[in-house]
Amino acid sequence: MKRKLLAILAVAGVLQLSGCASLGVQPWERDLLAKDEMALGAEGVDLGLDDHIYFSKEATSGGRSFAGGGCGCN
Amino acid sequence: MGRIRTLAGVISVSAGLLLASANPAVAAQPAPELVLNLASKQVNLSDYKGQVVYLDFWASWCKPCQRSFPWMNDMQAKYGEQGFTVVAINLDSERRLADEFLRKLPAHFPVAFDPQGNSAQTYKLKGMPTSYLIDKTGQLRIAHQGFHIEKQASYEQEIQGLLAE
Amino acid sequence: MQLKNKGTVATALAGAACALLGSPAAQAEEEMLKDWQFDTAILYYGETDRVSLAEGVINATKTNDDDSIFNVKLVLDTLTGASANGAVAQPYAQTFSRPSGKDGYVVKAGETPLDDTFRDTRVQVSSSWMQPFADTWRATGAVNVSNEYDYMSLGLSGLLEKDLFMRNTTLSAGLSFQFDSIDPVGGTPGALTSMLTPTYIGDDNEEGEDEFEWDDDYEEGDNKTGSESKTTTDLLVGVTQVINRRMLMQFNYGLSVVDGYMTDPYKLLSVVDNAGITQDVVYEGRPDSRTKHSFFVQTKYALDSGVVDVSYRYATDDWEIDSHTIDSRFRFNLGDNNYIQPHLRYYQQSAAEFYRPFLNQADPLPMYASADYRVGEMTAYTLGLKYGHKMENGHEWAVRAEYYQQDPKNAGFDEPGVLADLDLYPSVKAVILQFNYHF
Repeated sequence: MKRKLLAILAVAGVLQLSGCASLGVQPWERDLLAKDEMALGAEGVDLGLDDHIYFSKEATSGGRSFAGGGCGCN
Repeated sequence: MGRIRTLAGVISVSAGLLLASANPAVAAQPAPELVLNLASKQVNLSDYKGQVVYLDFWASWCKPCQRSFPWMNDMQAKYGEQGFTVVAINLDSERRLADEFLRKLPAHFPVAFDPQGNSAQTYKLKGMPTSYLIDKTGQLRIAHQGFHIEKQASYEQEIQGLLAE
Repeated sequence: MQLKNKGTVATALAGAACALLGSPAAQAEEEMLKDWQFDTAILYYGETDRVSLAEGVINATKTNDDDSIFNVKLVLDTLTGASANGAVAQPYAQTFSRPSGKDGYVVKAGETPLDDTFRDTRVQVSSSWMQPFADTWRATGAVNVSNEYDYMSLGLSGLLEKDLFMRNTTLSAGLSFQFDSIDPVGGTPGALTSMLTPTYIGDDNEEGEDEFEWDDDYEEGDNKTGSESKTTTDLLVGVTQVINRRMLMQFNYGLSVVDGYMTDPYKLLSVVDNAGITQDVVYEGRPDSRTKHSFFVQTKYALDSGVVDVSYRYATDDWEIDSHTIDSRFRFNLGDNNYIQPHLRYYQQSAAEFYRPFLNQADPLPMYASADYRVGEMTAYTLGLKYGHKMENGHEWAVRAEYYQQDPKNAGFDEPGVLADLDLYPSVKAVILQFNYHF
């Protein structure tokens, strides 16, 4: 199960990289991508609060970006 | 030895990247003709021959474009009577968004609307905003990618330079 | 903290009222060109019968003329309530020492032992600077300081990003270093040493409080030492790719190496006999190194009036904790100024190799053991809904309500004697309420 997922991820990643030339948009076609809510880190405050909750309640954290420190656990 | 060569390569490539962004002059060539759909009428870019034209490609969603509007209004006010004009081409796919932008940041210069992006295709834009300075004879002389507040003085000098020709 | 946030909102509202006095056009232009943006939020997190957390955030971002971005963020939170101490329920009442060693508490028959000592306030300040250079590069440096009663954390990080193919592809690489120090209340207990449990002698004193008595030979803190620390080094590399006008994807790989004290000094384990009856209670102990790998993929898709945001993370580490997380948000715009956004999250983790719900008296004492359900096998899900509104003056507010449930699972441990009839893996249920204000 895990291995299969990893393999799918790896294949997707390679397809991604090799396909770069045909992917993408022209600079003037970024109207939708430029919206605030389309930013990868949109709603950063919510993401930070969620990270803090799940960091203190679950055994894995991070992955998206560097998170701030501290415990605030239990 | 090999490592030194690699390092030298990295340094020269980095230096090249830094320099590439610094030089705005383009080899003089006739500005490709465009049909401009202004709010009230249709004109050709070549109709502005005899004037120095600051041709600006913009869109409502582009943040640096917002910063360039007050400056373009200033330039239009300052040099408009000396044979200078800003011509701004809007590339929003929805006219409504452009109109909303212009309601908030009114433009005191001609604005053309090109929702299909044909003009951007013709000029092969590499980024937003992109602006060109066209001299009185209709030659493309200078190109800028992006709009940087700290370079406003040099943008203005370029306009003065072309007006003086 | 809540008062402080109310103050901020009030100031913002007053500012908005003043701005209304200016001409509408000038105001609109100012709003569009302003360089400071503020995001504030207050959050309440409450578990049924367990901990509750109140948290306030003020996040200020300034975009400079050269597109560099300065950010400073202040977080305040305060935590109160009870938390599972790791010991198993028993068919009779149990007594435990508080971490200070000066007091005790009683847990009723059949109930999961919860320690209600926790009360902590945390202050966190972080700041970052992002500098674009040479057209297609960005460098970001960040610092982070966090302090609470028994815990201090200091972090530094750097991130380099490079745009390629007319900014359709972005490569990023970052490194972060963090130093944490913990100074547990009552000292750091030795791993798997016994906690001396007191005897309950009643509440017939003047204040009507519970009173406890320890054995005569009990020396307070003789199995406890001073503060401990750990260091965390993180490496993160990523690719972001624009797929088409509506879609972009991000892939991240993260490596995290932690060295030092990772034990929870307040967590315990029961040592039981063949009949499942507790014979001893010991402090937990975890390994002092951990190496984690994470693979993260996120995709965002712009609908005509909304956004679909789905991410998946797979993480694995040398504690043998593997986890899968799917997080998704679906934003639906209701006209230009309103939106609703359902949130769904599913999480699943396997147990750490040293996880033991309890220890058997007959077995030799292991080197490491923890009964903390947070390193055990579990699944968890979150269901939430957010509503946001953009006001005439461009300010935005939003409310969010969520339900979070953790379901710990038995990772294949036999339950001898009386333990078979007790709930050793109770679910934890929590609500999250949040209010955001952006100006």
